[in-house]
Amino acid sequence: MNADPANPSPKAGAPVLRLIVAWTLVGVPMAWGVWQVFQKSLDLFK
Amino acid sequence: MRYIGSAADHLTIIPASMAILSFLNRDHSVAGADYSRWLVPPAALAIHLSIGQAYAFSVFNLPLSKSIGITESAPTDWKLSTIGWVFSVAIVFLGLSAAVFGAWLERAGPRKAMFAAALCFGLGFQVAAIGVSRHSFPLLLFGYGVLGGIGLGLGYISPVSTLIKWFPDRPGMATGLAIMGFGGGAMIASPLSTMLMAHFKTATSLGVAPTFVIMGCLYFAFMMYGVFSVRVPPPGWAPAGYAPRATVHNRITSGNVTAANAIATPQFWLLWAVLCLNVTAGIGVLGQASPMIQEMFPGVISASAAAGFVGLLSLANMLGRFFWSSVSDVAGRRAVYATFFTLGAVLYALVPSTGRAGSVTLFVAGYVVIISMYGGGFATIPAYLRDLFGTIQVGAIHGRLLTAWSTAGVLGPVLVNYIREYEIAHGVAKADAYTTTMRIMAGLLVVGFICNLLVHPVDARHFETANER
Repeated sequence: MNADPANPSPKAGAPVLRLIVAWTLVGVPMAWGVWQVFQKSLDLFK
Repeated sequence: MRYIGSAADHLTIIPASMAILSFLNRDHSVAGADYSRWLVPPAALAIHLSIGQAYAFSVFNLPLSKSIGITESAPTDWKLSTIGWVFSVAIVFLGLSAAVFGAWLERAGPRKAMFAAALCFGLGFQVAAIGVSRHSFPLLLFGYGVLGGIGLGLGYISPVSTLIKWFPDRPGMATGLAIMGFGGGAMIASPLSTMLMAHFKTATSLGVAPTFVIMGCLYFAFMMYGVFSVRVPPPGWAPAGYAPRATVHNRITSGNVTAANAIATPQFWLLWAVLCLNVTAGIGVLGQASPMIQEMFPGVISASAAAGFVGLLSLANMLGRFFWSSVSDVAGRRAVYATFFTLGAVLYALVPSTGRAGSVTLFVAGYVVIISMYGGGFATIPAYLRDLFGTIQVGAIHGRLLTAWSTAGVLGPVLVNYIREYEIAHGVAKADAYTTTMRIMAGLLVVGFICNLLVHPVDARHFETANER
């Protein structure tokens, strides 16, 4: 629903490639950080 | 300088820098028709994952304390207690800048605020690098503590109100996604810093200064991705099918309160206390996590296993931010905070007994849940503020509320450290010294529960009228 029809409403489906690139850009460093933590935490349960 | 125009208007000189800076204006960052709101959380995450590095600053403590002596601390080296001030000052400036610049952010828009954050944070690292290479503590303190701290505060609040405006249907989840990055930033920064210092280490240097230079550049570039990709929704925009839930029962207001008026309401101070008490309890544990688990399980938990425990707590801190804030969109903010305070109080009271029973798994599980609620408290508060005060100045109100964090940043560690030292000085065994502290933390959470219970909808006399906006 766009409350102001005079304004163009951003679409729900922007270029998929842009979304994939954006989420990959932040997702890869986060996944690397989680992996580092996972490896370190194995010592805890040895 | 760039000259624009024909001979008739050649006197009109527009500095190129001004043209570039105009790109940062709110007007230039209104979303077009091909923009998806799901591009905003990655932009916000780029900022928060970068500034979340602050939680990993302690990896520099030991190398900084041996920057002259290299293999061991020389008499002219900085003491660990002195270096500790760098992080403390950064957190103080985080709270102060969030409080001071919150109202400016609402006017200037997220792009300009994110740019200022990137500039301060990146520049802070460079000044700190000069401080390390010249062995000047004031420069290190000014660079990372003051400049970097201002970058932290601006960066922390800059995407929050934009996310709330893009996701009026799921404000908790949206802000949780961004603030999750602040919890996760340390998981990236800690191994990255260690790798860079190992790379730059020589016979005469531990590699801290070049590591600061590289990290400053990397974080600036990463934060600039957020600057370029963030957009504000057009005025009056709402997601398809969205109908505002304006019911007093859910404590969701349809009115708007300015930051100046908000701090005159009891609701603001009750939420200030709620955040402060929740953070005080969690931050005290986070700061002592490594020695605590080693003292609770002497001979069982090694230093490297304790580092694994600290890593797990970071992960819980990060995931809790997303999980609990998303739950709050369904269950309501007050119910989620009530859960933090009741479950938290029970766990704080019980966890020391799991240590005495020798169960590492139960001990770890208890603290993982506790720290997930610590993170959840940070991530749920912007949506709680939006429910009570509306959206027009929620970023500025959030900025002022973050002074509760600065207060808790001092209270939490002081409570845990001093009570523990007092107990040990009076003959209590190290393994048992945390029992009293944890009971006090449980008591603080009971007070927080009462504060949360007292939060009621804001009186309509505080609302802005259409003419006042």
